[in-house]
Amino acid sequence: MVERAPSTPPLRWRLRHILPYYRENLWGFVVGFLLLAATSATAALIPYLMKLATDALAQPQQGQSLSWTVGLLIVVAVSNALLRIRSRTHIFAIGRHVEYALRRSYHAKLLSLDAAFFNRSKTGDLVARGNTDVLAVRMFIGPGFLQVANTAMVYAVTLPVMIALNPTLTFLALLPFPIILGLTRLLTTRLYRLSRAVADRFGLFSGFVQEAVAGMAVVRAHAREEDWQGRFADEVQEIYTAQMRHTRLQSLFGPLVLLAGGAGIWIILLVGGQEVMAGQLTVGDFVAFAGYLAILVWPTVGFGWILTVLQRGLAALERIGQVLDTEPFALLPATDAAPPATGQRGVLRVHGLHFAHHEPILQGIDLVLQPGSFIGLAGRIGSGKSTLLHCLARLYAVPVGTVFLDDQDLLAIPELALRQRVALAQQESFLFSATIRENMVLGHPDATEEAIWQAAEMACFAEEIRRFPNQLDTLVGERGITLSGGQRQRLALARALLMDPDVLLLDDIFSSVDARTEAKILDNIHVLADSRRRTILLVCHRTAALHRAECIYLLEQGKIVAQGRHAALMATSALYLGLHQQMARHEALESLQ
Amino acid sequence: MMPPVLAETEETRDGNLFDIHPYRLLWRFFQYARPYRGWVVAALALLPLSALLQLWQPLLIQQAIDHHLLPAQPDGFGWLLVWFLLLIIGQFVVGYLQSAVNTLLGQRLVRDMRRALFAHLLRLDAAFFARNASGRLTNRISNDSEAVSQMISAGMINLLGDLLLLFGIAVSMLLLSPRLSLVTLVSLPFIVLGTLYITRRMRNIQRRGRLLQARMAGHLTEEVEGRETIRLFHSQDKNRVAYDRMNRAYLETTLEANFFEALQFSFIDATSTVVIALLFWYGGALQGDAGMSIGVVVAFIDYIRRLFFPIREISSKFTTMQSAITALERIFALLDTEAAITDQPGVHPLPAPVRGEIVFQQVSFRYDSEPVLKQIDLSIAPGQRVAVVGPTGAGKSSLIKLLNRTYEPQQGSICLDGVDLRRVPLTQLRRLVGMVQQETFLFAGTVAENIHLGDPGITLEQVRQAAEETGAMAFIQSLPQGLHSPLAERGVNLSAGQRQLLGITRVLAFQPRILVMDEATSSVDTLSERLIQEAVERLMAGRTSLIIAHRLSTILHADRIIVLSGGAIVEQGSHSELMLRDGLYARLYALQFAEKGGESC
Repeated sequence: MVERAPSTPPLRWRLRHILPYYRENLWGFVVGFLLLAATSATAALIPYLMKLATDALAQPQQGQSLSWTVGLLIVVAVSNALLRIRSRTHIFAIGRHVEYALRRSYHAKLLSLDAAFFNRSKTGDLVARGNTDVLAVRMFIGPGFLQVANTAMVYAVTLPVMIALNPTLTFLALLPFPIILGLTRLLTTRLYRLSRAVADRFGLFSGFVQEAVAGMAVVRAHAREEDWQGRFADEVQEIYTAQMRHTRLQSLFGPLVLLAGGAGIWIILLVGGQEVMAGQLTVGDFVAFAGYLAILVWPTVGFGWILTVLQRGLAALERIGQVLDTEPFALLPATDAAPPATGQRGVLRVHGLHFAHHEPILQGIDLVLQPGSFIGLAGRIGSGKSTLLHCLARLYAVPVGTVFLDDQDLLAIPELALRQRVALAQQESFLFSATIRENMVLGHPDATEEAIWQAAEMACFAEEIRRFPNQLDTLVGERGITLSGGQRQRLALARALLMDPDVLLLDDIFSSVDARTEAKILDNIHVLADSRRRTILLVCHRTAALHRAECIYLLEQGKIVAQGRHAALMATSALYLGLHQQMARHEALESLQ
Repeated sequence: MMPPVLAETEETRDGNLFDIHPYRLLWRFFQYARPYRGWVVAALALLPLSALLQLWQPLLIQQAIDHHLLPAQPDGFGWLLVWFLLLIIGQFVVGYLQSAVNTLLGQRLVRDMRRALFAHLLRLDAAFFARNASGRLTNRISNDSEAVSQMISAGMINLLGDLLLLFGIAVSMLLLSPRLSLVTLVSLPFIVLGTLYITRRMRNIQRRGRLLQARMAGHLTEEVEGRETIRLFHSQDKNRVAYDRMNRAYLETTLEANFFEALQFSFIDATSTVVIALLFWYGGALQGDAGMSIGVVVAFIDYIRRLFFPIREISSKFTTMQSAITALERIFALLDTEAAITDQPGVHPLPAPVRGEIVFQQVSFRYDSEPVLKQIDLSIAPGQRVAVVGPTGAGKSSLIKLLNRTYEPQQGSICLDGVDLRRVPLTQLRRLVGMVQQETFLFAGTVAENIHLGDPGITLEQVRQAAEETGAMAFIQSLPQGLHSPLAERGVNLSAGQRQLLGITRVLAFQPRILVMDEATSSVDTLSERLIQEAVERLMAGRTSLIIAHRLSTILHADRIIVLSGGAIVEQGSHSELMLRDGLYARLYALQFAEKGGESC
């Protein structure tokens, strides 16, 4: 993370993502400022009233004036408290609302971004930006504003009163304050750096422990426990050192604030004391000064602290900005051409498709899939099968004019329409930690109970669902952890089937399904293609699917090198023959168990 | 330094203090403080000193006002000023020391505790790690331990300090003026109850906020991981609504928290001012009484201002203690997990040279209730090469893992040179039995470090020699810094074949007497395949070997082949004998080995 770029861009640009919120809440800030002014004014009254009370007490015979002062003190104290509550909640609420809005737009942005963005980001980092960084920005807006405004107000109100009481004493008593401000600023900046060092150390330490736990079997198998114990001890010592370095400074903070306050009182006692004895100052003035000093200490410390908060907020804003400024790949203007009638729908035409990610993956794919066809896709690992499916599902940005669905460029189809017409089920489909039902109806929230069961039936998953105590309402756990691999694959298939798409793309969905179930599912899919004229493209890693496909495209290094039915390919393609033998051997080994 | 909350786990929730036995846990924890008795005494001794330094200041002000300022008596005022200066400097020094000593103590205790935890993990067996997610174990050592250090540095000692300060304030007030103390006393229940109520509410709201934050982070994580699915099924809107619901609830929680936070500050300010006002009023009524003076009133004002701080702190420190104690409970539960495979009393090192004769007698093994190996009888002569084949799930890898006591059989015995493995020291046994796994686990570090694994007995020259022998040196030399090249995370920058070669080199460098190996199934290119074959040959030379074979060359070169199925040895003999029997081996051979011949498709 870059703390400060070599040339700092203008503040307006750095704040571009929250400036609108400032404009929106302009009145809110004005009201907050006025409330703060009123709070400071009432707060400044309190030491003065105490002075009056003390002086009245010093008189041998005080009359009504003391009771009046006492009464007034109570009234002012209570109104000050109410004003302070109001002003703080008002100003912090602005920050909270901005936090809410920022979270919302960050989340919406994440949902809109494509694979290219996610492939270069780490999950943990994206989550941290949407969480910790947003918090830092909120601190910037709420407490940041409050602290700056508050310090200004408190000084604006308190200082004139103190000067009016005694200019020299004011000057002397405030002498330690610039030092506090400077030290706080210095301390918080350095502390921030040191606490980052601790956090980094902690991260390294966690990484070490994680690795050690993961590799424990190796450590044990070579009887290297002692060595690892030593390395661990070093790591722990490093954390200890970093922590103590932080502590040495951190421990200064509180005592220093108390010292500054104490020094102020001492100066008042030293200088003011002489004047009281000389009769130039009353004891009440002395009490008032002590009170004013107490009012000023915390805003001064807070000001030094807030500069660090502001700096951190800006850095966080930059990190959030990097995501907010990213745009998903561009689509063509939607041509909302009405799709053809059922039966002729689902013509998928690929024309000269090239696709690269670091290195070329697809190198000129041409194919046409007709409605009602059941097409297989075969090839070695890394030949580009999954990438092709991702392109057809528009998860990757395909070049304009290369993929057409019913003669409409894939890039010109509105998102919702595309998702309703093309569905993809993968070998490792993601399941959410929710119920089976919620996972099933993901793309079709108003699916009827009947439709859900029908889809489950087609995916040969219905029997097992019925055996769960909570049936469709069974929770599947994080990433579907409570289901077996085969169940996860069939749930993912059922989810895609429930969409009832024109084009169904299936990426090796039988890898964890037993042969009998696989055959049944293949039957069902065949029926779907035949009777309902759906277009089905299946990436095959198993023989049964290959035998049933109407046509198989053989992929090698991103090109289609052969096509035809199983029998024909066996006779003509050595590559296909080899692939098929490998699969057959694998399946035979499985059946031995 | 707590890491940010990024997911909801058992650790983010605070347990109930009264469900567990805090005193027993704390008592056990205090044992860790023994080596630091001196520091503990120092921390405790600083407490009364700090309280004294704080409480003396108002008294000096009272004296200044009553004896010097009002009677205009400058004699001795200078001394008073010196005293006061000493007090505030003393307070600074003691305050600093307190914070530093407390943190030091907390950090040292946690350092020791972490070492104990890690040492314990090193002793625990493979079955334990299979049962416990590594993330949870890491958490014990990192986050839970950190919570415990907070208890020391920010909780327990300061809690005593706060109580002492409260007590001191009460005593000072009573000594100064019993009557004025009465006014404060009357307001005290109101102050305490008010503060407690507010901090309690605050705590609940903050906990709710933390939980929502963790949930939002969890939601975000799931969405990032499942982004393709969300896109494919166009469920962005639904997800937006779900996230917005949490976001809104969080907003409401934080707004509520704002209010109580502001209330907390203002309540303390306002109440202390009201009590001070009452003090003035009562002071006026008492005027003329003995022991009643302006100085006393001013000192009381000071005491009342100091009174609130410890009351507020005590409540928040209880929260710190509470989460630390639940963390302690989890830590001790881990420390109490007994290691199942350890050296029993009476182990005796095998006399050198070890010949390497292995005998399995009626060995049965199961992980849970499912039997994996059933009454295996097997004897391997020194230097013999035995290949194990069989379908997946036959118990092959369990069989070899029994040899270095990764697992322990429930029945029967395994003897090495006629001595039961359980009577051989674990360290010696594991140096004697070298194990090559299917997947070579590589640590962050250099190539050389991954070969010698930090063993000072293995010189760099020996590492180089081992690498030369296995042929790994060829690719190691092509790396920018040769043997000292750092490996990327888990060796992702190496090919599967290179990782296997490294794994073989590692075992060779350790020079075991017995070799057990689970050959990798992952296919590598022809060249690597040949290299690996030769490396395995070298490794087996002169060693008793038990190898789960996936390569044709391995079975062809074996002295004997064992066919495992369903946890029992169903066939054994040489390749040709077994082929003649035309049983399971013949079928396996046809499917798995026959067409491979080193080439893979």
